[in-house]
Formats: sequence, C-alpha cells, structure tokens
Amino acid sequence: MTDAVRAVNLSKTYGAGAAAVVALDKVDLTLPQGTVAALLGPSGSGKSTLIKALGFVSPGDTGEVFFEGRLVVKDGRPLADLAQLRRRHLGFVFQKANLTSFLTARENVEIACEFGGKTDGRRRARELLDYLEVAHREHAYPEMLSGGEQQRVAIARALANEPSLILADEPTAALDSVRSRSVMELFRKVAHDRGAAVLVVTHDHRALDVFDVLYEMEDGRIRPSAHRSV
Amino acid sequence: MNLALRDVRRHIARFVGTAAGLGLLLSVVVAMQGIYAGMVDDATILTRAMRADLWLVQRDTVGPFAEASRLDPSVEARASAVPGVRRARPYNYQLIQREHRGAVLRIALVGLGWPDDPGHTLPLVRGRHLAQPHGEMIVDASLGLGLGESLVLAGEPYRVVGLTRNALTSGGDSVAFMTVGDTQLVAFDQSAEATLLERQRVVERLRRTDLGRGQPALEDLARDPRWRAPALASPPLAAVLIDADPHRIAEVQATVRRWGDVTVYTQGEEETLLLSGVVQRARMQIGLFTVILTLTAAIIVMMIMYNLTLEKTHDIAVLKLMGAPRGRLLGLVLQQAWLLGVLGYAVAYAIGELLFPMFPRRVLITTAISVIAPIATLGIVTLASVVGLSHVMRIDPASALEG
Ligand SMILES: Nc1ncnc2c1ncn2[C@@H]1O[C@H](COP(=O)(O)OP(=O)(O)OP(=O)(O)O)[C@@H](O)[C@H]1O
Ligand SMILES: [Mg+2]
Repeated sequence: MTDAVRAVNLSKTYGAGAAAVVALDKVDLTLPQGTVAALLGPSGSGKSTLIKALGFVSPGDTGEVFFEGRLVVKDGRPLADLAQLRRRHLGFVFQKANLTSFLTARENVEIACEFGGKTDGRRRARELLDYLEVAHREHAYPEMLSGGEQQRVAIARALANEPSLILADEPTAALDSVRSRSVMELFRKVAHDRGAAVLVVTHDHRALDVFDVLYEMEDGRIRPSAHRSV
Repeated sequence: MNLALRDVRRHIARFVGTAAGLGLLLSVVVAMQGIYAGMVDDATILTRAMRADLWLVQRDTVGPFAEASRLDPSVEARASAVPGVRRARPYNYQLIQREHRGAVLRIALVGLGWPDDPGHTLPLVRGRHLAQPHGEMIVDASLGLGLGESLVLAGEPYRVVGLTRNALTSGGDSVAFMTVGDTQLVAFDQSAEATLLERQRVVERLRRTDLGRGQPALEDLARDPRWRAPALASPPLAAVLIDADPHRIAEVQATVRRWGDVTVYTQGEEETLLLSGVVQRARMQIGLFTVILTLTAAIIVMMIMYNLTLEKTHDIAVLKLMGAPRGRLLGLVLQQAWLLGVLGYAVAYAIGELLFPMFPRRVLITTAISVIAPIATLGIVTLASVVGLSHVMRIDPASALEG
C-alpha cells in the first residue's frame, strides 16, 4: 500500500521574536492509502496548521512533504504546481461555509469534477450526491441546505476528483452527535471503498471508534493517541 | 461551467440595476459626444451643402460666415474664365430677423446662383428645388414654415417650395435658400422714400448729361414706378463658389490667389474656419465633460467590481483551495465586468434611440461614435476590473479553512 502523504520533520513558526508561536514542531506523519485517521488535540495545538501544510495550502518553514512518494514541498518551497495537485488529487472538507455560495449543490460538485479534469461532471455529480443521499437537494443553494446536508454536499465535492487524500478540519463541529457520527462513518466508507487516505480533525470523542488511527497534537508535536485503545 | 454567469444569476436584480445605472452614465457621455458632433455637422452643413471646390471671398477676410465678405460681382465672370474651372456660382449669406405670425424668426439667407444652382446640392426632405428666379425659397424645417406658406421680405412674398432638415448656422439659426438676386433684393431693401429720392437723383443726372438730353425717353423710363433704382452700382456678392476639374483644383487655386481682391479657401478650409469659432470652444468644454464623466463611470465600475469581488472573497478562497486554475477566477471577475459593460451599453443604446431625438439640440451619432463608444466601454470596464483582479490574486486559499 503506497503512502498518500508523508511529512518528514515538518516545522512551522508564526511570527518572530518574543511573539513567535511554534505551530508545528518537527512533525513526522505518514498516511497510507485506504486509512481514515483522526487528529485530536487541544485548541491551538497546531491541527489546522498541519492540515494546511499537508494540503499544500500553506507550507511549513522547514521539513519535507511527499505526495504519493514524490517530494512536493521542501523547506517551504514548492517543487510542483500545488494548485494543480490540489485540484487533481486532494479533497477538502472543513467546519462550515464550505461550499461556493452562488452555486447549487450539484454545481458545487460539478465544478470540482471540472477542476479535477473529470469528464461528464454533471452525471458524476449526481452519482456522488446520490451516494451521499442528498440527490434530492441538487438544485438548492448552500444557504437553503441544513448543516448536515451542506456537509454531505461538501464531502461529495471532496470526492469529485477521486482524490488520494481527503483532509477534513472539524467537519462535524456544526452537527449534532447523530449526524456527526454518520459523517465520520462516511469518511471511513470513503477510505475503505475508494482507497483514499482521510485525515479528520475532530474534538468529538464519541465517534473515535470509527477511525483506523488516532493522532494527538500538543504544542505543535504529534504522537499516536492515547485514545487509541478506546 | 461559467462561474461569472452563475454568480450573476444569483444576484440578477442587483446586477441588472447596476448595469442600468452604468447605462445611464454612458448615455450621457454618448449624448455629449453626439451633441458635439451635431454642432460640428450643423456648423459645416452650410459649406458642405454647397459642394463647391473653392470659395472665393473678399480679400483678407475669413468670410462669408465668420465675418462679412463683399466681392465685386465681376469676380464671378472672371472666375468662370480661369482654365480648369467648370462653373463659378455667386453666393450670398446674411442674417435677418423678421416677425411672422407674431413670432420672431431669425433666418440666415443663403443666395444660390440662378439658374445654374437651384439647390440641387441641398438635402431636401420635402418639396422641390427652386424653379423660378424670384419669389421662391427653400427653408429649414426648424423655422416652422410649411410648404406653400409665404413670408414677406422687403415688401414681397416669398413662397416656401422646399424643406431641408438640420440646415442651421453654427449659431443655431435656420437657413433659407433663395436665388442670389433675391437675397440682394432683401438685403438692399429700400423704403419708398429712398426709392423716390434715388429716382429723382437719376432724373436730375439725366438732365445734366448729353445722354439724357439727347434721349428724353430715358427720363420717362426713370420715372416709371416699375423701375427700381439700384442703391449701389451693382450689389456685391458674399462669395463666388468654384467647381473645378478634380485634378486642376490646385492650379485654379494658384491662379485665383494672384488676384488682388479675393482670398481663396478650399471646401475643407472653409469648414475649418466655421469650426474654429463657436465650435472650438464647445469642443474644449464637451471634451472636459466627457473626460470627467468617463472617469466617473470608470471609478464607479471599479468600485462595483471591487465590491462584487470583495463579497465573494470566501467563495474565491474556497475555489482556490480546491485548486481552481487562476484563469478561471480572473475570468469570473473579467467576464462579469464585460457583462456589465455590454448590458450598460445596451441600456445606453436604448436610451439613445428613445430619448436623443427629443433633445432640443441635435444629437448626431456618427459612425466614429458608434464604433468607439462600445470599444471604449469595454476598455473602461476591463481597466476598472483591475482592482477586483488584484484582490482575487491576493486572496489566500488558507483563509477558506478559517471561515
Ligand atoms: N495565521 C496565523 N498567524 C499567527 N499565528 C497563528 C496563525 N494561525 C495559527 N496561529 C497560531 O498557531 C498555533 C496553532 O494554530 P492552529 O490553528 O493550527 O491550532 P488548532 O489546533 O487548529 O486549534 P483549534 O482547535 O482551535 O482550531 C496557535 O497558537 C495559533 O494561535
Ligand atoms: Mg483549527
């Protein structure tokens, strides 16, 4: 099984001097394909910073990030077209206001298919919405969707380009525990059915049994979670 | 998938409203240019309508429109004899003011050489050209006279036989065309007292000369009321128009230039003379207004485009996070700007079609205006979207995660 993404000795500091905040401190992390991993940790521990670095959005200051075995970012310098990498191989889901407000549910998925170079985006978008059981809302704008529906559309969109890596930053923060759990189970299903690596930042400890691996962050450092045994 | 149209669809009413506002502004800019073009056209219509190659006027004057010009009538015959001249026509021009049916009419009288020039070069909208040497005129419709109506000038009725449109002087006065002879009659109109005195003078002169003494019948002739004594030996002309062989115009011009009593202008020079006065000042003013209005429109579009982009900041950040190609996001802004421009121009066009004909001054949409206006609109909206575009470039995809 190949690694979807691998971070080696990844560090990131915000600010400088006395105000400097070390958000990532020599992080090593490997996510194999087909696994769903949770990223836990207190507020300010660096979870979002790690998601941005692994998602090739804001690179770290030092260290290396490999994507599917290929070195893509070294010491903050991109060695490939990162936007292209994102649109072809990555999917993002985040807390809220995930969707493009002026596109309908279906169009939100369709545009991701288009960016990902997928032909027949409309049909594919319908299939994905169907897979996530929101096909009946395909013509609705995001503001007309419930939080759970929005999140499911966002997940459909994250799947549109058949990504090798899905990064989700607190995707269930706006949902009740029942819906939250069903979203987590969906991630598991996606990882296991489609072979993608999924990394989910969550504070919700009730759904941790869904994950294959748990990581915990503290002060910018990462370690396998103690909750593993739960 | 076209993002620009999808976004517009979501806020269609606001977008159309904005385009309508821009359209109003554009229509004002176009109207200014059209009014200016109308002024230029009005100012030069007098010279253009005559379709002469050369204008001979009084030496060292810029007549006959900008200032008075008096030419000896013999110039016409002399000009006719110049090699290369096909035809020389007398021309008269003068402003008169008369009351007619209780209203004051200001009329610019233009004299046409009879019988060579009954007004064939005039753009008639109704009626016919002059058909007799006396008592007929072609007037501009703006004067308010109808076909067949008569106007009394110098004690004699002149019947309207043809109507032109937009034959106005640069001062906005309506033009009436009649034969040169008639303009001279009107211009050198005399009171009965003056005629009697003149007649008396002629009789006395006859009695003092051998000619009068030898031919008593001449005295009877002079006393006949049908005989009109000329106030001057022969009334002067304002100009003589020359139609020359196309390839010999310069040659004719060189010949005539040597004459001591005339100054010669080409048709183009005569037009420039007309424009250089009144219209030149208007050009400055209208040019300034146009610049200010164009800048205003550009700044407004800029603010609109910036705001449209600003409120989409999060959406654009999300699209960037998804790895949207840069061109697609810049296209979103640019295409909306262009759509705004196209809709705005369409509104301006509709306003022009509906309202411009009702303007008191003529709004002339020349080919140049109708070509430049849409191109300029497109240029303005493109330039105005620069601020929006640079905002798009600066949006950090990471900010999508913070939303
Ligand atoms: N843009 C930034 N500029 C300066 N400091 C930042 C910035 N982003 C994050 N930080 C700091 O870096 C540290 C890690 O932030 P990060 O957002 O990764 O935490 P987190 O684990 O996602 O927290 P939360 O659970 O509250 O979302 C924090 O101390 C935060 O204040
Ligand atoms: Mg966070």
